[in-house]
Amino acid sequence: MTQTTSTQVQVTETLDCSGLLCPLPVYKAGVVLNRLASGEVLELIATDPGSLEDVPAMARQRGDTVLSVIDEGTAHRFLIRKGTA
Amino acid sequence: MTIEAPSQLPTDRHLRRYTDIRAMLPDVDQPTPLVRVGGFAAPEFELFLKLEWLNPFGSIKDRAAAYMLQGLGETGALDGKELVEASSGNTAIALAALAALAGTRLTVTIPDGVPEEKKVLLRMLGAEVWETPDDLCPVDNPRDGAIALARSLAASEGGQRYLMTNQYENEHNVRAHYETTGPEIWRQTEGRIRYFFAGFGTCGTITGVGRFLKEQDPSIEVVAIEPQPGHRLPGLKSFAEAKEPGILDRSVIDHVIRVDDEPAYATTKRLFREQGLIVGPSTGAIVHAAVEFGVDRSGVAVGVSPDGGQKYTSYFADLLGDEGLPAF
Repeated sequence: MTQTTSTQVQVTETLDCSGLLCPLPVYKAGVVLNRLASGEVLELIATDPGSLEDVPAMARQRGDTVLSVIDEGTAHRFLIRKGTA
Repeated sequence: MTIEAPSQLPTDRHLRRYTDIRAMLPDVDQPTPLVRVGGFAAPEFELFLKLEWLNPFGSIKDRAAAYMLQGLGETGALDGKELVEASSGNTAIALAALAALAGTRLTVTIPDGVPEEKKVLLRMLGAEVWETPDDLCPVDNPRDGAIALARSLAASEGGQRYLMTNQYENEHNVRAHYETTGPEIWRQTEGRIRYFFAGFGTCGTITGVGRFLKEQDPSIEVVAIEPQPGHRLPGLKSFAEAKEPGILDRSVIDHVIRVDDEPAYATTKRLFREQGLIVGPSTGAIVHAAVEFGVDRSGVAVGVSPDGGQKYTSYFADLLGDEGLPAF
């Protein structure tokens, strides 16, 4: 998998979706992103392997940006910046 | 299924007096009405609508919801759990009412674009409503986001919290129509039905009724109505964009007619204005298809009218525009 890191990112809210199967993490992330302001960052933790495809696809559809995906063994930590839409 | 409280006036179906609303659920001795639709087709093609919106919770889905809950109750699978279901509204409304009566919590994953009226009714009944974009899972479930979300909820928390009734895969959905809707139609038409029309949705109706009618007379023609991709006909499904339900049995279907939104809504408006039938848009789609099919055919035909028009007033407002408002 692609692993990128981002430094100096201010996380606005953290959502732990450990143990939840896709598309539940994507759905919950969408609900939280809807209430964030443009430019704010959601930290999403997911353990479902499907999240590696579904989260970037969701971000693209919504106009948000995945700043980084960090593989932490069984968990994946996404930093998602809310777009202007 | 019916639980009656002690009463000096017990349930008497002949008098239409009930001590519990669940006793109003239909069966062959208490069928929903068949009403003739006059003037839409040649007199030789005798078209009736089965008015399923006169069920206690307002739609044909009352039957499936009651059977599915009864099935879960019998196996004890629901004990201590909450229900989750993916629904465009009608199944959810019936489930929510029945769950409320049973003291069970219900979460509904509902597709984007379902009329606000349905979502508010569900919340009034105490259900939790998760509005779900169809394209929630672009990778695996391009047009079935609500179903995928309900499945993931049922599988989460070790499967200990939620139980999915799963109307798309639940044989009790088919059984409800095989044991009630089908026999009702057979009896109400005195065995003279030649053609049966129902929409593609969960496919419980077309499979259950179709199977029953074919067993009575294999020459009865069963016609499925399918909307176009991207349609705005709640309750109906286009299998060009959605996955076929596991309970669909195509062997009982003789014809599939595809209907566009525009004639479906135009026919819905005609049913309001010419027949006094306050129906939902899927009924318009079914009647439009039946009338086209009935050209050059004769005999008794029955179409399902799945629900009433009250839940679609916001859609109808779009359809009407300025029509019916003062012109000055």
